[in-house]
Amino acid sequence: MIEERELELFYGPQHLGMVGNFSITLKVEGDTIVEAIANPGYLHRGFEKLMEYRNWIQNFPLVCRINVIEPDSMEMVYAMAVEKLAGIEVPERGNYIRTIFLELSRIASHLFGAWAYVNMLGFDTAAQWAMYHRDLILDLFEELTGGRVYHIYIQPGGVRRDFPKGFKDKIVKTLHSIGGCIPDYDATFFNNSLFYKRANGIGKINLETAKKLGAVGQVLRATGMEYDIRKIEPYAAYDKVDFNVPTRKKGDAYSRIWIVRDEMIESVHMIFKLLEQMPKGDVWNRTPNPFKWQIPERDVYVRVESSRGELGVYLVSNGENKPYRVHFRTPSYTHGLVILEKLLKGANISDVGNIMISLYVIAPEIDR
Amino acid sequence: MSTNKLQEEIGSLFKDITFKVSKNNKIFIIAQKEQILDILSFIKDKGFDHLALISCVDWIKKNQFEIVYILTSYLLEDEKSRIHVILKTRISREKPEIMSALPVFENAEFYEREIHELFGVNFDGNNRLIPLFLEREYKIAPFRKDFDTREYVKNLYGSILPVEDKNK
Repeated sequence: MIEERELELFYGPQHLGMVGNFSITLKVEGDTIVEAIANPGYLHRGFEKLMEYRNWIQNFPLVCRINVIEPDSMEMVYAMAVEKLAGIEVPERGNYIRTIFLELSRIASHLFGAWAYVNMLGFDTAAQWAMYHRDLILDLFEELTGGRVYHIYIQPGGVRRDFPKGFKDKIVKTLHSIGGCIPDYDATFFNNSLFYKRANGIGKINLETAKKLGAVGQVLRATGMEYDIRKIEPYAAYDKVDFNVPTRKKGDAYSRIWIVRDEMIESVHMIFKLLEQMPKGDVWNRTPNPFKWQIPERDVYVRVESSRGELGVYLVSNGENKPYRVHFRTPSYTHGLVILEKLLKGANISDVGNIMISLYVIAPEIDR
Repeated sequence: MSTNKLQEEIGSLFKDITFKVSKNNKIFIIAQKEQILDILSFIKDKGFDHLALISCVDWIKKNQFEIVYILTSYLLEDEKSRIHVILKTRISREKPEIMSALPVFENAEFYEREIHELFGVNFDGNNRLIPLFLEREYKIAPFRKDFDTREYVKNLYGSILPVEDKNK
């Protein structure tokens, strides 16, 4: 009889099944994983420390780089925290524009996430469509803000500029052309039995464990709980628009990716409603001179729903013109470290990429 | 449950704590470091079962670290879901030690590892305080206020001065 032995296997950061700068050390016995150790840190830039050296406004170019795929919710949560600390109000139209902007960026982020997952399973055609459709939204961002990936558009007191002329029609046109392709996506990927066979029952987690491990976002919603910060603690204009929170029951990779699809459709409907209701007026309330802007001694925790789940920031001011301490609570942190290690135990080697990408983990958000 | 009732119950059970409610239902509790585990499990039983974040603030002038636990609720009741509990405790900067929150919250492990690495705080009961992000050894933990990033870069990479210093 052959003695079974453990083998150590390095999975990533240079690996075909890995998206982003992240690695996992696996201990395997045959094809089964005995232990998995997540190794973040390939992208640690120390932003939270660097932010302590810069004033409140100067931090925006740093903040958006924490999450490369969806920088706007990062800007939003930091801007909200500064507003709470300094007691600044946002005009009505500013709130509507912020909400539309965040939903557009949620769609772009989900398309990127869908690309990563679909591509990993080998459905190249649908993956390329997703990348193309994300690019159409980036074109909208470019026209509105001047930047394609990083926008630095949201700032304390509102947004940097109003919609340009004819921009509403462009949003509607772009979303219609993306929405028109949903049947194609369904036919090639979501209703494809290969996807069902490959994802059903993979990376399964139940509601109790998910809660115990601090899951948020799709991971929690796939277990049947309607946990969405946009509903629980509405910010911007989310309390003025009606929308559903898609959930599933099974808690596996299949449910999580279906939720991503349903959320995109929900966002599109939400943007159409918001565009109709949009009031007229200012988009930005003046804030003090950034070089002289001192915020009284206070601390605050603010959270928003990013495309990956609850995103929060703990911001401390000690009365100076720069933050005393910034600490981001990012959704990928718990998903990519705590839950990933738990789910990989006992899984098959061939499912590692599947589990990791279906948990919707993005490495820069973990490292910060 | 309203914030007043929680205040009464906590006040009767634990001595030497400060309880403050801000106007938008955010609860601030300041406690001694020995009480932290008891208060955490008490608050967890009251429905605040989601540990959102453990953070650390370096108050160098007072020679203290402040460990901050932020708890929210998974319950979807209208009122309670909007309450955040921010539990704070101060520990000495010379000998930074505190009990680990692992017995109460399973997801505390990585937050504590991060604080251990970046601030040098020891968590009693967490057996996996190994490096998380950094690859080098540092004399001073890098997120402490007395760690100067510019000085560090200068020493490590030689004297390529920033542009503003060159003109002097």
